[in-house]
Amino acid sequence: MIFSVLVLGAPYSSGASYSAYRFAQAALDADHNESHNKNHSANHNECHTIHRIFFYQDGIHSSSQLATPPQDEFNLYQAWQDLQSTYDLDLVTCIAAAVRRGVIDSGEAKRHNKLQHNMSTNFSLSGLGQLVEANALSDRVITFGR
Amino acid sequence: MPNDNKQKPILIVNQSAPYGNANAKESLDLALASSAFEQALSILFTGDGIYQLLPKQSPDDIQSKNLLQMLKALPIYGVEQLYVDQQSLTERGITELDTQLPIVLVNSVEISRLYHDAQTVFRF
Repeated sequence: MIFSVLVLGAPYSSGASYSAYRFAQAALDADHNESHNKNHSANHNECHTIHRIFFYQDGIHSSSQLATPPQDEFNLYQAWQDLQSTYDLDLVTCIAAAVRRGVIDSGEAKRHNKLQHNMSTNFSLSGLGQLVEANALSDRVITFGR
Repeated sequence: MPNDNKQKPILIVNQSAPYGNANAKESLDLALASSAFEQALSILFTGDGIYQLLPKQSPDDIQSKNLLQMLKALPIYGVEQLYVDQQSLTERGITELDTQLPIVLVNSVEISRLYHDAQTVFRF
């Protein structure tokens, strides 16, 4: 099944981002296990892919490069970045939602004359059309944070 | 963008009052994006979401953009009908909504049909 994921809640403030992360991991691991363990109880015919993970509203904070949780706590920001590089995931942060909340990449920093930028390079900034397209091309869109 | 047979009808459910948080604004942004890509889209206002449809809003006083004006523009973008939960109006004693909006009052059976007909539901 082709999934896309919509994340609406900020990390830590809400469980949305973490739940979305676990969902993505489970979907992709199920795919992984299936090819390596034929006796696995999961459906053998079920091959999951994640077309895109879209971060909207307060969900955009997951893409901050600067957030630094205490070292003895789970680092959700790092986890998203690792998941992205492991599976080459398309993590898209809504540009309108992010820029007004102060999460910007180097391009937006230049455009808006800001000295700093703080968005992880594992994410890309784009428009809501990416969510609409994800809906059109996925079997299911799973929302976290509402 | 995908062709028509790839269309997955979208239902946007608005259940937040305007201005107190970003839900109404960011829901509207998604509605406009959906219609820009010519997706089948229905919008339902329920619960406190019906407050978005009250006439005579003056958000200038709180340095906010007028969301009602933007809702009125939806027909231009191909959203012909705004579904409004009748029971939510009754519960809140609301009898007057903005008359320039293309409003269709719906009961619980009709709401359940809206959900049934949608492939994806976004709630704000």
